[in-house]
Amino acid sequence: MRKEDTVKLISAEGFEFVVHKDAAMVSQTIRNMLTSPGGFAETQHGEVTFPEISTTILEKICKYFYWNLQFASGKETEFQIEPELTLELMMAANYLHT
Amino acid sequence: MSNQKKRNFQIEAFKHRVVVDPKYADKTWKILEHAIHEIYNHNASGLSFEELYRNAYNMVLHKFGEKLYSGLVMTMTSHLREISKSIESAQGGLFLEELNRKWNDHNKALQMIRDILMYMDRTYIPSTQKTPVHELGLNLWRDNIVHSSKIQTRLLNTLLELILRERTGEVINRGLMRNIIKMLMDLGPSVYQEDFEKPFLEVSAEFYKGESQKFIECCDCGDYLKKAERRLNEELERVTHYLDARSETKITNVVEKEMIANHMLRLVHMENSGLVNMLLDDKYEDLGRMYNLFRRVPDGLPTIREVMTSHIRETGKQLVTDPEKIKDPVEFVQRLLDEKDKYDRIISSSFTNDKTFQNALNSSFEYFINLNPRSPEFISLFVDEKLRKGLKGVSEEDVETILDKVMMLFRYLQEKDVFEKYYKQHLAKRLLSGKTVSDDAERSLIVKLKTECGYQFTSKLEGMFTDMKTSQDTVQGFYASHPELGSGPTLTVQVLTTGSWPTQPSITCNLPSEMSALCEKFRSFYLGTHTGRRLSWQTNMGTADIKATFGKGQKHELNVSTYQMCVLMLFNNADRLNYKEIEQATEIPASDLKRCLQSLACVKGKNVLRKEPMSKDIGEDDAFFVNDKFTSKFYKVKIGTVVAQKESEPEKQETRQRVEEDRKPQIEAAVVRIMKSRKTLDHNNIIAEVTKQLQSRFLANPTEIKKRIESLIERDFLERDMTDRKLYRYLA
Repeated sequence: MRKEDTVKLISAEGFEFVVHKDAAMVSQTIRNMLTSPGGFAETQHGEVTFPEISTTILEKICKYFYWNLQFASGKETEFQIEPELTLELMMAANYLHT
Repeated sequence: MSNQKKRNFQIEAFKHRVVVDPKYADKTWKILEHAIHEIYNHNASGLSFEELYRNAYNMVLHKFGEKLYSGLVMTMTSHLREISKSIESAQGGLFLEELNRKWNDHNKALQMIRDILMYMDRTYIPSTQKTPVHELGLNLWRDNIVHSSKIQTRLLNTLLELILRERTGEVINRGLMRNIIKMLMDLGPSVYQEDFEKPFLEVSAEFYKGESQKFIECCDCGDYLKKAERRLNEELERVTHYLDARSETKITNVVEKEMIANHMLRLVHMENSGLVNMLLDDKYEDLGRMYNLFRRVPDGLPTIREVMTSHIRETGKQLVTDPEKIKDPVEFVQRLLDEKDKYDRIISSSFTNDKTFQNALNSSFEYFINLNPRSPEFISLFVDEKLRKGLKGVSEEDVETILDKVMMLFRYLQEKDVFEKYYKQHLAKRLLSGKTVSDDAERSLIVKLKTECGYQFTSKLEGMFTDMKTSQDTVQGFYASHPELGSGPTLTVQVLTTGSWPTQPSITCNLPSEMSALCEKFRSFYLGTHTGRRLSWQTNMGTADIKATFGKGQKHELNVSTYQMCVLMLFNNADRLNYKEIEQATEIPASDLKRCLQSLACVKGKNVLRKEPMSKDIGEDDAFFVNDKFTSKFYKVKIGTVVAQKESEPEKQETRQRVEEDRKPQIEAAVVRIMKSRKTLDHNNIIAEVTKQLQSRFLANPTEIKKRIESLIERDFLERDMTDRKLYRYLA
């Protein structure tokens, strides 16, 4: 993976997830962060910190990004969501606009 | 049983974290406000998108959306005020550039602001029905910059001045123009239209009004049209370079109206260079230009068409009525064809083969060709001339084109039956004298006539061809059965079916004894094979080849008409004969005899006879001798009859009368056909129907139709209705 093609997502606890930009851009919010003109800090460094998203949730979100890409390309599988994550996941989804 | 406690679940409404800090909203807004400032100052690189987004997100979430929105409006407005000042202070030519630069900045900033405030755009704005951030930014720009009192008029004037400068030939910065116009379009169609397009169109109208006035005073029509075309193209180019595509029709309308529509009549009728002159001088390019320009304006093409039509009619009328020009029928028809060719070329090369123009051309020709009642005769004479000699050495395709052209003229004729009459006469002469050049061409023309007018029209003409063919066989059969006739004069007979051929009053002249004996033999031979027929000799139509030996032993073969032969044979037994003697001996009708003697005695180089006194005309007391001094370079001498090519006045009357006579049964037949299917019909309708049915042959005269109807009533084909006298009934 080339560095330019990836983005580092950092959770509240400081865990870093390196994902493809394509995948991260499933989130409309992240897409805007990375494409907005004028060069925000995120665009320059290629990393985004989410102080309000926990590691568990962020991990789930990253999984979702890749699942979503696959789903969009025609591979229809179930996406498992543990019930206890549901609420927080929904809030994060609202925030990330996915 | 275990005592089960009933557990009451209560699902509480989810509560957002309570904001403890009462100044939370202010603090958060400060951060965002600062960020907006930084963005406008091109200083955004240090900012964290996520942080700003999260702050805006939280503000909306914590019901501070209103504060966020109004804060945004205020901050942006204040920035735009500053920008407006800096644009206002830009000097002269820099004004537009500054405006463009600031516009680009604003756009970029606006996009960034929209991105970080996306959550507000997504949730708060739809629910409160406020203007979305991007549109808000554009509206604020419009209100604070474009509509600011110091910028609005200056902007418009600058734009219009630049366009004026470009119109007068200067080069301007089109890229900049495009950007500014694009800005106006981005601000909404109404901004573009109100702040630019409308005044632009007004100024353009003014400009072209003045310019067209100037041009029309000093230019001729062709130049003016060139200029107008160039202007039009310039405007089109301008639209593609930096205006809204939707302005295209509007601005071209302005140019069309000011430069073309307003001056249309003046252009068309311009002296020495108007439409008529263009037509006269075959200016295809100018005509094409005029067509293309005039096509754009209402009534443009009809104007051209009318002027062209009246011009063609006028010249055509002169052509067909000028007594000088109708002297030579061949020349006359050739002129018509040339005229037609000329306009066909103009229409095909300049008027894109426009159907309406073709129709106008056709109707004009139809109009003036029929002005001259002799047109049918002349066209037939033209064909006659072509088929006699004009087609020699001409390739088959050329023959076809000539015939096609003739057919085209034929189509214009209203009195097709008159043409048929003459054509029959001419064809008969051609066939009998064996002068037709090409059998194929003859037949091809017949086929054309057939497709044009139907079997009826040509059946008799075809009958003539058949007669020729069968006669050949008959003559062969005759000689085969009379082998003793090998020596002596040879007779070639054409047996003509009465009815198929133009009937002519036949006065059989006295043939020389050698010939009449031969004729008798043929008669008995023919009637022997075809019983029940009657054979009469048409001596006025025949020809003869005779060998003559003159005084000094010169031998010649003379090709003469039957009449001439009869006259010449008399001189075998006499040296001198006077007119009366000849007339008595031959019994040739006086007018024919005079013509025949004239051609024998008065034509220079062909005068095998001598006459006393020497004069051009034949008198009743003249005497004739064999011209012993006759010489000719050729062995074979063809002595033409002095034929009246064109019909003389009484002949014309006669033909006319015969045509009228022939029309009667046709009209009657048409009336009966129509009434048979309709049973009852009123007078006006019947006239209309008959006229329509007969149109392909001739233009029926209403009074004649009326006479025919009356005659039919007399003969009990029709009756008048008892109550309504205008109504006719068919009596089966």
